[in-house]
Amino acid sequence: MKKYATFLYDCFRLSFVGDWRYQLWMTILTLFSLAGLYAYCQQFVHGLVTTGMTDQVSWGLYIANFTYLVGLAAAAAMLVIPVYIYRNLHLHDVVIFGELLAVSVIIMCLLFVMADLGRPDRFMHLFWRFNFPDSVLTWDVIALNGYLLLNLHICGYLVYCAYCGRRPSAVFYVPFVFVAIGWAITIHTVTAFLYVGLGGRPFWNSAIIAPRFLASAFAAGPAFIILTLQVVRRYSRHRVSDDALLALRRIVQVAMIINLFLLACEVFTEFYTDSAHVASARYLYFGLHGHDALVPWIWSAVGMNVVAALLLVLPASRGLRWLNAACVLSIVGIWIEKGMGLIVPAFVPTPLGEIVEYVPTLNEIVVCLGIWAFGLLLYTIFVRISVPVLAGEVTYENRLRKSGLGPIPGTTATS
Amino acid sequence: MDVRDDRPSPGTPDLPRDPHGGEQSDGVSRRGFLTRGVAALAGMTSVAAALSPLRHLDRDDIPSIAEFFQKHYKEMTAEDKQEVFRRVQEAVKRHHGVDVELADPGPLAGVEFVYGLNLSRCIGCRKCVHACVKENNQSSAPEIEYIRVLEMEKGSIDVETANHHYPEKVVPDADKYYMPVQCHQCDNPPCVKVCPVEATWEEDDGITVIDYDWCIGCRYCEAACPYWARRFNFTEPAVAGPLNTDMAYLSNRPRPKGVVEKCTFCLHRTRVGRMPACLEVCPTGSRKFGNVLDPDSEVAYILRHKRVYVLKQDVGTLPRFFYYFDERGSRYHEPISEEVGS
Amino acid sequence: MVLGAFAVLLLLDPLRFASPVAAPDSVPDWATDPTPVRRPSESPEYRVGVFRYGCSDCHRIIPSASEGRELPIQHTEIRLEHGINTRCLNCHHPTNRDAFVADSGAEIPWNQPQLLCAKCHGPVYRDWQHGAHGRTNGYWDTSRGEQTRRRCIECHDPHKPPFPSMVAAPGPDTLRMGRQQVGDHAGQDNPLRVLRHPRVDGAYPRIDGAEDVLKEGP
Repeated sequence: MKKYATFLYDCFRLSFVGDWRYQLWMTILTLFSLAGLYAYCQQFVHGLVTTGMTDQVSWGLYIANFTYLVGLAAAAAMLVIPVYIYRNLHLHDVVIFGELLAVSVIIMCLLFVMADLGRPDRFMHLFWRFNFPDSVLTWDVIALNGYLLLNLHICGYLVYCAYCGRRPSAVFYVPFVFVAIGWAITIHTVTAFLYVGLGGRPFWNSAIIAPRFLASAFAAGPAFIILTLQVVRRYSRHRVSDDALLALRRIVQVAMIINLFLLACEVFTEFYTDSAHVASARYLYFGLHGHDALVPWIWSAVGMNVVAALLLVLPASRGLRWLNAACVLSIVGIWIEKGMGLIVPAFVPTPLGEIVEYVPTLNEIVVCLGIWAFGLLLYTIFVRISVPVLAGEVTYENRLRKSGLGPIPGTTATS
Repeated sequence: MDVRDDRPSPGTPDLPRDPHGGEQSDGVSRRGFLTRGVAALAGMTSVAAALSPLRHLDRDDIPSIAEFFQKHYKEMTAEDKQEVFRRVQEAVKRHHGVDVELADPGPLAGVEFVYGLNLSRCIGCRKCVHACVKENNQSSAPEIEYIRVLEMEKGSIDVETANHHYPEKVVPDADKYYMPVQCHQCDNPPCVKVCPVEATWEEDDGITVIDYDWCIGCRYCEAACPYWARRFNFTEPAVAGPLNTDMAYLSNRPRPKGVVEKCTFCLHRTRVGRMPACLEVCPTGSRKFGNVLDPDSEVAYILRHKRVYVLKQDVGTLPRFFYYFDERGSRYHEPISEEVGS
Repeated sequence: MVLGAFAVLLLLDPLRFASPVAAPDSVPDWATDPTPVRRPSESPEYRVGVFRYGCSDCHRIIPSASEGRELPIQHTEIRLEHGINTRCLNCHHPTNRDAFVADSGAEIPWNQPQLLCAKCHGPVYRDWQHGAHGRTNGYWDTSRGEQTRRRCIECHDPHKPPFPSMVAAPGPDTLRMGRQQVGDHAGQDNPLRVLRHPRVDGAYPRIDGAEDVLKEGP
């Protein structure tokens, strides 16, 4: 127990140590997080009127980000599949970064949900009366929290074992890893089912939503990790082979192509039939009765996704510059398409045919940025801790040798 | 780039130069302690500054211990209810300066409510909307109205053709028909299905109610409703005009910020035998309400003899709200009187 | 240091909340008034200025024209626009003006106007009897309180029965509603619009008067 406490303490101290770039990055993230907290407090005092949401568009940027991030969390576990099922050892070293990303992203998801609640002070009502199995939201609560605990356990166990200098015992993490694979698919499917099950929203009430969720998640998630791994490679001593990056590229490539195919399926079904159900899709892609705020967004997203897919298919993206460009395009394109291109159009027009457009307020945007910054802060800290610990530079033994009072080993010139 | 090299290299962040080489032997230097202390203080100050808007919180925004542990309505004993009603009454007194008595009428035995709306008679005057607002103490800023009157195009039952915002003109317009929509108190309600905390449920007389003190404000029910019947309190509701003091816990008592509300068929009136407010004010008698289990009721007669239908039947909600046309639907062939009545 | 500066910035409340909600327009009192649109007199009387005469006060003595819609001397303000019912004595009893006349010639009391209307408006009367037509106010559960069934003339002027038009009460003005088209935009979605342009070769059935009935467009 004492060892665990010192482990946590060492992690805490380690997260403050770094060169000027690290400090700058952390300061920026902290500032944004504090701004987000401030904006959220404004919302807590005045209510959700500080956001741009209305009775007509009752879910907005918070749920859009939540949806996107659940996908990212699911995809983070994608790295596990090649390693543990296909024995692709190139990715073995980087699995931990995927798992850590999953942890920080799930925390962001939970924060977005809390930010969206009208009465966050009552969220413990979920424990007293839980409408399981009727409400898909309850399934989502179980899925997300379970996934968080699963990944916390896996990462924590591996890092703690490295800290203690002993080999991790397979029985304590390998079964959990396999469960996490299945669970990752589940969390995103359940999140999709939140929307799919609503008959009153024909834009969502389609079987293709869940497969599209997974496809776009598996394009955006590994893209994010490709970028992150390059940062890790550049700023720490952890080895990341190019083969790992190329394996991830293959995943993004296939997932993006599937995503575009599913997009084509959806667009055809909506517009060829041209029934009344097409109203929301028409609003999104072409505008409805003069209201067209989302049109430039969705076409940019489609453009970005198509360009990303082309880049990924071409051998030029084997080079890091084009690969990074394709990744950025994927991440941003899928964020727009999944967030604003999925959540908001279902509310326009309303089930009674009224059109009220949604524009997020500054307060809302600052809260979102704050949560993103906080999540990135957590992820940076996790990576900051796990790289030296897994490399064996920061261990309990090193600590004892320094009588527990010196500066953290692995962080100074002496060792 | 080389790895496993203990010598510090310029680009690696985890090996900073140690500027105070000589003072490290005892571990924590005074300077290091001060730096860390100042940093911690700055950190705490900035967090406090970020939290500063909370100083504007109202007393009612922060739940008391009793409110925190308040049970779900269905689990409350009679004593619990007394206690809760007393708290609500005190809050109403604090906010509105009015003494009220919260009623809690239960569903009547052998009663299932049904609402009929005669589309041949509705002229679109919107008096029902405003009578409902007044009866149910709805917020005027921001505006909440449970009932929405749609001006529909002839030839279409699709609400896509509806105009919600027709002006204060002379109604009825000869080429339109008018369809008011409110909560249909469905028998297979999607809102009840999706609520994660069971804050909304269907009672034995068919009314779907909300425990406003249990709702967490996730608005999943608002997204699920196919009739756009639910409203959310985005901020503290502001009731214009005098409060309607004839209140019940589950219907028209003043709601807090951050919870969902909707039409309850005026259960504080209908469960004691009275007509709902929207029906009372309707000048043409288009609205019909009663107990469908009573074969002699108006609504039973309508369901037997009139061409009734429900809105969005394909969604499978089994609403208790029926629209119908009379046999005499031919008024549109004649010129409507130009004179505005008193 | 940076954090301290930022803390000061936050304390200055940069994102101070400015409410998007304007003060609401007041709703006119008539919009919530449940009084019926007409208040017919409780007893048979005729009012001229401040004078009130019982109907039979004059009609016991004065004979009246039995035919014709236009009244020569008194009651000139009454214009009978009751469709094809153009004869006063179809409703008013020829000798006892305090009552109405049944098909048999018998009297219908003044306070039972629905029996009069039922002479011609059978189906509507049947609906009214069952509560499906007209206003029912008060209690739906008559065992707990009184129910008031409004009679015909509390809504319909017997000399000009179509229900009077009204001005609509204010429309919705919800939070952040944005600009809304007050006029209708929906003409183009109406499936009936095809009937406005029937094919000349007769392939479409022509519906007489369809062009008059439908509006010209949005």
